[in-house]
Amino acid sequence: MSEFFSMSGYGVYLWPAFALGFGVVIINLVMALNTLSQAKQEAKRRLEMNAERTS
Amino acid sequence: MATWTWFHRFGSPPWVYGFAARWTPWFGGAAAIAMLVALYGGLVLAPEDYQQKDAFRMVYVHAPTAWLSMMVYTTMAVAAAVGLIWRMKVAHAAAAACAPVGAWFTVAALGTGMLWGKPMWGAYWVWDPRLTAELVLLFLYFGYMGLRAGIEDPVKADKASAVLAVVGVVNIPIIKYSVEWWNSLHQTPTVMKMGKPTMDTDMLWPLLLMFLAFALYFATVLLIRLRAELLRRERNASWIREVLS
Repeated sequence: MSEFFSMSGYGVYLWPAFALGFGVVIINLVMALNTLSQAKQEAKRRLEMNAERTS
Repeated sequence: MATWTWFHRFGSPPWVYGFAARWTPWFGGAAAIAMLVALYGGLVLAPEDYQQKDAFRMVYVHAPTAWLSMMVYTTMAVAAAVGLIWRMKVAHAAAAACAPVGAWFTVAALGTGMLWGKPMWGAYWVWDPRLTAELVLLFLYFGYMGLRAGIEDPVKADKASAVLAVVGVVNIPIIKYSVEWWNSLHQTPTVMKMGKPTMDTDMLWPLLLMFLAFALYFATVLLIRLRAELLRRERNASWIREVLS
């Protein structure tokens, strides 16, 4: 197991690189989902304001 | 005839919104499965390289992130061009949705490249043609996002940023062919050389699967961001009321 993590001595470079690459994968998914839920809330608020103005 | 119906559908925000909502989980699920299998294949099943030993496994994170950084830009430039030529709102929205994703993956490509460069070349950074062109790509993404943020009128912002995106696309072939045009420290492509793969099959399939996984992942994130862009742009359309209820 420790042999796997050492990666013939290159683990010190390899694991941070994988953490960065797949960290960016996860961050981008989370940010996209946040952006969508924010846009939904803003759109809802706009619709409510429009409804109040017309009523 | 059929192509035009297809084109018209993609020009309609409610249709695109529905399409994106329906397909996101499928693309996302497929991307996650492919990514996990490719990771296992690349980190566990693939044998070590005779020259680079286990350091070659960097390829499974560096190559897909670098490829995505260029693929996202190309998608953005094509969407921007479609938006300019046919004045298609959805296309401009798609281009805007690409930019932050592309910028992040350019950072990942540069960072993973630095971590591969240190043990192989002895330096985190060298002013090599490919590395420099990839850094220019990052500035192009920043320029595109800065330009959009700086122009208040959304129609003007779409047009100006689209022109920048289209002009900047010249950088993509420069990145791709830099290793062949100039004497570069960066290694030449390993997947295909003279039409034949230069890697062992056990090393190759996880890499190809990882490329597929990243493409599916990009589709997922793009569809999510595109929905957000469409909601923001279509202020008072009645379809928004329907999709939000």
